Amino acid sequence: MTDDTSIAQAIGDALAAYDALTALGEEIEDEWGYVNDLAAAWRERLETVVASRGGEAMSAASAAALDRLIAEIEAIHDPHRAIDWLSTFPQVALIALGEAP
Amino acid sequence: MRFQDAARDGRAVVYAGIQADPLVARAAALLAEASHAQRVLARAVMNGEATDPAGWRTMFPTLFGEGGAGGASEDDRARSEAILAASLAVAERGEQVRSQFRGAIVEALTADLLARRVGAASVRRERRILFDGVRAEIHPYDVTVERDGAAEAHDCKWGARGINADVLHQLDDARTHAAEEDEHLTIGLVVFDAERSCRVRLDRQSAPNGSTAIIGLESLDALATGVPRP
Repeated sequence: MTDDTSIAQAIGDALAAYDALTALGEEIEDEWGYVNDLAAAWRERLETVVASRGGEAMSAASAAALDRLIAEIEAIHDPHRAIDWLSTFPQVALIALGEAP
Repeated sequence: MRFQDAARDGRAVVYAGIQADPLVARAAALLAEASHAQRVLARAVMNGEATDPAGWRTMFPTLFGEGGAGGASEDDRARSEAILAASLAVAERGEQVRSQFRGAIVEALTADLLARRVGAASVRRERRILFDGVRAEIHPYDVTVERDGAAEAHDCKWGARGINADVLHQLDDARTHAAEEDEHLTIGLVVFDAERSCRVRLDRQSAPNGSTAIIGLESLDALATGVPRP
């Protein structure tokens, strides 16, 4: 079973949520540079998936996974936890898409 | 070069209680047998906000789907369920305690994997390394392998953010002092996080790390099969 959403659209939604998470992590001033380098590295990895599979339709399971994952990071309000999730979120997203982190 | 138990100060006594909690041993044993994706599940849940297991099953369809994407076998699903349950038990302990549990779990997992290669008798926890004429470091090394001619010292971190100048200097200083005594000491930093994140963190460090093996989530199993290399 597939979803109407393409992988490119789903990753686009994921990256929008990821940007908000990055902004939250930036509140830790001492980690501003690391936060942005980390976000850039993972954004680049997710964009390689868009480049190679962006036109594919999401499976229903993968679409539900990314929706739930986005809800998980939207529930984060602590900037320290946000930094942890800047690394965790892309790993979970890539696994949900059948990719290696 | 010689090894010594760390001083039992107040922090060490409290932390020893965490290390001895059966949940730590249970989680470490499960993670020692886990796949990479199952280890990411543990990382996410122990870092997470949600405590509803159904939500986590939805986020990891390849681990919990019945023969769906990824086609998890019954055994794999059972292990994923056990990892999810243990991880939720950690997550539900509150922020400060969960942080201590996460650290203790990475250390126990590291010790478990190393013991598969060198035998449990050679693997020690919370040990200082002493060198002639060198003032001892205050902080002990999380896990050591104590064998003549093939010693190892490993520090363990839950996330890449834990990589910092202090830990890199302490590890490299030990290696350098060992070399001054014509001893070889393998040094490693075990990080329960993606190697991509570790590289980003390391790129921002000026402390010496060229001789330090960085063992991230993707290569944890290598601890059980060979001496880590930088």
